[in-house]
Amino acid sequence: MTTTITKTVTKICLPLVILFSISLLLAGHNNPGGGFIGGVMFASVIALTYVVFGLDYIKSFFDPDWGKWFAFGLILASLTAFAAIPFGHNFFRSAVEFVHLPFFGEVELVSAGLFDIGVYFVVIGSLLFIFKNVGDDE
Amino acid sequence: MDSFTAITLAVFLPFILAGILPVVEKLLKNRIGWYAAAVAFLSLVLVAQVAPTVIHGESIQGSITWIPSLGIDLSFYGDGLSVMFGIIVSTIGIIIMSYSNGYMSKREDLPRYYQQLLFFMGSMLGMVFSANLIQLFIFWELTSITSFMLIGYWRNRPMSVYGATKSLLITATGGLFMLAGFLVLHAITGTFDIPTILHSESMIEFIKGHELFLLALILIFIGAASKSAQGPFYVWLPNAMEAPTPVSAFLHSATMVKAGIYLVARIHPIFSGTDAWFILVSGVGIITMIMAGFLAFRQTDIKGILAYSTISQLAYLMTMYGYTTLHHPGIGVAAATFHLLNHATFKASLFLVAGIVAHETATRDITKMGGLRKEMPITFILATIGALAMAGIPPLNGFLSKEMFYEASYEMGHLLGGPFTYLIPALAVLGGVLTFAYSIKLIDGIFLGKRPSHGLPEHIHDPGWTMIIPTAFLAVLIILFGFVPSIPSHYIVQPATESILLEPVDLHVQLWHGFTPALMMTIATFILGILIYTRYDSIAAWQNRFNSRHPMLSVNYLYDATVDNAKNVTFGFSSRMQPGNIKTYVIALLLLMIALFMIPVVFLTADIIPSTLNFDIPLYEGILFLFMIIAGLGAALLPRYVPAIISLSGLGYLVSLLFIYLSAPDLALTQILVETLSTIIFLLAIVKIPQKFREHVTPAVLTRDLLIASAVALTVFVLLINATQGIVAPFESLSHYFIENSLPLAGGHNIVNVIIVDFRGYDTLGEISVLCLAAFGVYNLIHSRGEEE
Repeated sequence: MTTTITKTVTKICLPLVILFSISLLLAGHNNPGGGFIGGVMFASVIALTYVVFGLDYIKSFFDPDWGKWFAFGLILASLTAFAAIPFGHNFFRSAVEFVHLPFFGEVELVSAGLFDIGVYFVVIGSLLFIFKNVGDDE
Repeated sequence: MDSFTAITLAVFLPFILAGILPVVEKLLKNRIGWYAAAVAFLSLVLVAQVAPTVIHGESIQGSITWIPSLGIDLSFYGDGLSVMFGIIVSTIGIIIMSYSNGYMSKREDLPRYYQQLLFFMGSMLGMVFSANLIQLFIFWELTSITSFMLIGYWRNRPMSVYGATKSLLITATGGLFMLAGFLVLHAITGTFDIPTILHSESMIEFIKGHELFLLALILIFIGAASKSAQGPFYVWLPNAMEAPTPVSAFLHSATMVKAGIYLVARIHPIFSGTDAWFILVSGVGIITMIMAGFLAFRQTDIKGILAYSTISQLAYLMTMYGYTTLHHPGIGVAAATFHLLNHATFKASLFLVAGIVAHETATRDITKMGGLRKEMPITFILATIGALAMAGIPPLNGFLSKEMFYEASYEMGHLLGGPFTYLIPALAVLGGVLTFAYSIKLIDGIFLGKRPSHGLPEHIHDPGWTMIIPTAFLAVLIILFGFVPSIPSHYIVQPATESILLEPVDLHVQLWHGFTPALMMTIATFILGILIYTRYDSIAAWQNRFNSRHPMLSVNYLYDATVDNAKNVTFGFSSRMQPGNIKTYVIALLLLMIALFMIPVVFLTADIIPSTLNFDIPLYEGILFLFMIIAGLGAALLPRYVPAIISLSGLGYLVSLLFIYLSAPDLALTQILVETLSTIIFLLAIVKIPQKFREHVTPAVLTRDLLIASAVALTVFVLLINATQGIVAPFESLSHYFIENSLPLAGGHNIVNVIIVDFRGYDTLGEISVLCLAAFGVYNLIHSRGEEE
């Protein structure tokens, strides 16, 4: 699995896939995509680099604590759920706002989008956390 | 700030501020106890904000919508009773957390300790201010759980673990009975809201006449009794003394064990004035009061004596709240409420003294102590004040409420008439006599007499100010409440009594009020108490002999036997259910699946294969299906792992192609990604195992597996054929709702995503939590594997 071809392909794919996963996350509300799919895509490409280049080699220069990623995601998702309460709405009530920004034009801001970002981080964090622990196991 | 916000903050700030405690620890190092005390002080200030409203006889109420469809809101209700508890909890909280600065060694895991104390304080405040029975139950169980963690604080001591488990098993089971009682109450009234029931006389009348009245009362009372260690449930409290002493002072004498008393007081207007209430509450109270007071004699551990004394004192409170007749529903309520407040002061101070003594002498065995008055003069004075207040010596606060207890018992006896005229006052005096005896024993055993020649450290001295001042503060309160009873009675006890009796009360407490029957009973108590004290050691010796002769005649024996038995049964069950062979599990699951799907389909559907089937498959799909069949066969038949896995993932990609063809881009995308990820994981795993299938499969096993596999395939086929027929009559399709409302309500065009993050966001939150738990589970599986050996 660690042939030159796979290594080269992985190197080229990595940034593209990450960018695509972010675009999937942000496009999710109106087009195919969303936090879950984006997260799985991100996790797969990182997992691919782990397999192709070897976990130890990757860890020598890129070793985030994936546990913190899913913790952050879960906190973010819960906070967006609670955010409606101080405004006098139900738990989990979402809000939609259209904002006009220079260059981007009309942009739709949805509080559910923040929730989706939380989902994104939970999926990435927990998948890679499992992955790294299984891979580290002797 | 309005009162409702103040209460909400008082309840939730301890949780939030405890959450950031690890961060605070980085700044304050081992001085975080002062931070925790400051949090408790903040809660006290917030609760005190509400006090003026309540003293005027008003109550406050407010709610935040939570689960409107079930009629459950996050709602708080503040009246005299809850504010009294709120003040006790937060004040004792300040004292305990300050004291802990001196008591807890700096080597201990301090953040965990203070975090759990603050969690407890928040849960307790949430419990007393709950306006909703379900919410009350949640906070109630939270106090049980935090108590469990704090009793088991020293995790590596077997007795701590035993005590913690015991307390959780008993109090949490009791809590479930209480929940059942609440549900019965809901069945009668149709509401979970406490103020709605309390403020409607017609509803209370209806409850009292209802056939489920007795059931509701008994179930709720079991909850209260288990929490307050009454009746047979008392057994957990002595074992809970394994907790650090400040915890025992806070949870197991002053606050948490009073939750049961709080509940009894809270439901007093609903259930009192009936025979059942008197028999159940006072009956259990009187028996517990005398039994626990008597059993205290045997204890040699200072905290053991205090534990039994707490059980006995809580039983006083139960007894007094139980005093009721049809026309006088609340005879002992004022007395009980006052004694509750006083007990919190003197018992907490005695526990803190016990902590000081144990801290300085390194033992809690009263038989090894004696004559410490010269070496620890300040501690001696503080202990004497606490113990004399408990014994009911004037002019301390314990005397006042003990007098009121006697007065109420006398009145109750006379209202009942017959043999009860003398029986109830006599039993009350007996309880007082026992209390008197063990209170004196505490002072005599530790501080008076001669210092034993060995067993104690050479130099014993009073502790530092961090431990003295909190204890002394309680001692000052004991004296103050004794001399100027109008302060607590007017500002705290009277509003609380009014909110239990639901009518204005004029409460006058005085040190001297003439030669009343109660005074005679007090004098009798002192005389008998001194007489009994002279026989103290022989009574204890008799109890020990009895206990060793009849070991099976105890609640503890019953508890241990039940728990051991349950352990054996569950162990046998799980070792039979989980033989360890993965193939067995899979077969069991698949057979269950076949049964679950096929039985309804065969018995309920007219034609298993619908007649309207359309076998007109386009060429493109046909080719796709052909490839899928080849890939599936390849996965099953190829002799090596890598080709088999590649073949399997090829099948998955073909399925996603089919999704695209059927214009379901979301599904296709998800399928591709999941397929990729699982292929990578498979490949990662097979690097570590032999590359060829080694297992030899006999023809019989092969036939069995083939049969099961075909049956599963058939089931899925039939299921899909039936499912694609559309939705059958009594059920309706939900999809049009989402299609119509996705854009106007949630502002999204992608209906699938809107459902996930908005319409069913709660489900998604649950799912991502499960994902995190799964990650922890895998971590534990991998890292705990080697520990068994």
